[in-house]
Amino acid sequence: MQSLNISYCKLSDKKNVCISRERGMMYRVCYIFFAAVMFFIVWILVAYSVFTRPGYEQFSGFLPIPTLKALYRLLRDSDFWLSAFASLRRVFVGISIAFLIGLPSGLLIGFYERLKLATYTPIQFLRMISPLSWMPIALLVFESFESAIWFLITMATVWPIILNTAHSVSQVNPRWIDMAKNQGANDYQLLTQVVIPASIPYILTSLRLALGVAWIVLVPAEFLGISNGLGYIINDARDTMEYNRLMAAVIAIGIVGFMLDAMIELFQKLVSRGAV
Amino acid sequence: MIMLIFHKNKGIKCSMNTAISRRNFLKTAALGLTALSSKKAFSANTETLRIGYLPITDAAPLLIAHANGYYQEEGLKVEKPISVRTWSNLSEAFLTGKFNVVHFLLPIPIWMRFNTKAPVKVLAWDHTNGSAITVRADAGINSFADLKGRQIAVPYWYSMHNVILQMGLRKAGLKPVIRPQTSPLKDNESNIFVLPPPDMPVALTGKKIDGYIVAEPFNAIGEMKISAKIMRFSGDIWKNHPCCVIVMNESLIRSDPVFVQKVVNSIVRAQLWLSHNRAAAAKILSRNGKGYLPTEEEVLQRVFTGYEISKYGPGASPQAIRHPDWNIARIGFQPYPYPSATRFIINEMRQTLMEGDTAFLNKLDIDSAAKELVDDRFVKQAISAVGGLEKFESVNIEQPWDREEIIEF
Repeated sequence: MQSLNISYCKLSDKKNVCISRERGMMYRVCYIFFAAVMFFIVWILVAYSVFTRPGYEQFSGFLPIPTLKALYRLLRDSDFWLSAFASLRRVFVGISIAFLIGLPSGLLIGFYERLKLATYTPIQFLRMISPLSWMPIALLVFESFESAIWFLITMATVWPIILNTAHSVSQVNPRWIDMAKNQGANDYQLLTQVVIPASIPYILTSLRLALGVAWIVLVPAEFLGISNGLGYIINDARDTMEYNRLMAAVIAIGIVGFMLDAMIELFQKLVSRGAV
Repeated sequence: MIMLIFHKNKGIKCSMNTAISRRNFLKTAALGLTALSSKKAFSANTETLRIGYLPITDAAPLLIAHANGYYQEEGLKVEKPISVRTWSNLSEAFLTGKFNVVHFLLPIPIWMRFNTKAPVKVLAWDHTNGSAITVRADAGINSFADLKGRQIAVPYWYSMHNVILQMGLRKAGLKPVIRPQTSPLKDNESNIFVLPPPDMPVALTGKKIDGYIVAEPFNAIGEMKISAKIMRFSGDIWKNHPCCVIVMNESLIRSDPVFVQKVVNSIVRAQLWLSHNRAAAAKILSRNGKGYLPTEEEVLQRVFTGYEISKYGPGASPQAIRHPDWNIARIGFQPYPYPSATRFIINEMRQTLMEGDTAFLNKLDIDSAAKELVDDRFVKQAISAVGGLEKFESVNIEQPWDREEIIEF
């Protein structure tokens, strides 16, 4: 289709940007490293100024060295890997369900103005509710604790996906749509040939947002009846005042989250390049 | 008046998002009720035992019965006990049929049964004593009278802890209030608020609170990890008081009494075993043992065996044990639910300041309420199966089935 060629031409501008970014790989790594060091320094400063006060000995676990030691112990513990896997699976299942619901809803809401108007109020209403308020309902409706946790994660992540997808649809260049219409495209063709391809970068961004939200919800969601998970490790560590273990789990979550985000980002780049 | 305070206090409540809020609890209970009528989880015959617990030492009998294989020996199909983190989570999961046996602080089923009309029955006492008031070492608190103008945390409004604390405060001429932490307190007032137990030692160190009353192991953790002091053991105030109770659903009791009997038999056996094998129990429950609780064995040893008169008795400051002659344990395991204690607690709850609608308490006829709440048929049979109530610690051999509630501050 003609319109697609136009969009490709547009996107091809990005090609140069991508390449120049690639050339600056070392440059980027340097920055990332620099940021990590800065983060570490801030952590040391804050932790030492707070947790070395007299009477706070029990909280020295928040300091970097005990944390790193605990992280080392944690990484050698098979329970940790089971927990990390369990949490990842919960996040993955929760987001997948949210995506399966959110993507089509978002596309339709963005595409049909009337649907957008009709759903605006309920969506704005529901998305403001803390997902944890759903806990009793989750327990009531779902057979297992595991599925209740999936539900909580889905309830937290479906909104950014819907809203971002809907937004991306409304951002599609109206000229492309007009052009496709001139060529005699029907709604279905418009959606699949123009709107969805143009929305993919936004959709992936919405996934990255959802990922962050999912990890936030995970810790309190793992209050429920399960016996592993990174949130569960954090809850256990709080029960026994083992703050080095708590911090180690926090860092583990940070690393896992960072890697997942980087993976989606990479995918995002591949997609935008693949479109060229 | 209470409702007013409730709103004023909202700020504090909102910051604690662990679903402790009573409104959540209410909502769930109501939902649970509607669900129960249709839920298939309560069908008889092939019932699997699903145990829910909080990772605290109160859960010991439920867990030891599993660890020692007592449920299995009774021929029950049992799943590994599942821990949740808050009383709200536990009651939600119980009311929605995820668990068929749990332990609750005695005031919780009272509130559930008579306020939200949930079909809960107390079958036995889970344990006795097992709580304490812990204070910051440098706060200069030695007795209830020293709690004037202080901030004290309780784990739950409907808890033994709240009831015993307020009894002590009133006895010392103080007035318990529920206020935002920043509002000034009069000289004769003590401010009470709810805090999740794991946060209590932290809040104590951070000087957000001056003391807390809660179940173990959080007092032992306070003692051992942040050098806090035990102001008073709860069992030293109300001798061998009930704390957590074993609770099941009324419809299950009606539909499958054989199943219920087997469960209660196992728990009572575990309680007897616990009374004689405290150190071993601490090891099994700890994460160094079978890992039912996340706590280290060292801390649990303190909970199960740490009631030395030499350490806490006369001469100690604060003196956590004022009745060395009572001959009790830091945590006890006596199963029989003495009606006198149920009546006493309902009566005391009427005078206890709590958030929310407590009007139902005044409408209760105490005698009939105590009878309606507790079903002691199963526990009586289980006790005779292990050789009688005399086998248990702190039971009056002359008159084992009766007792007088002794409360001394």
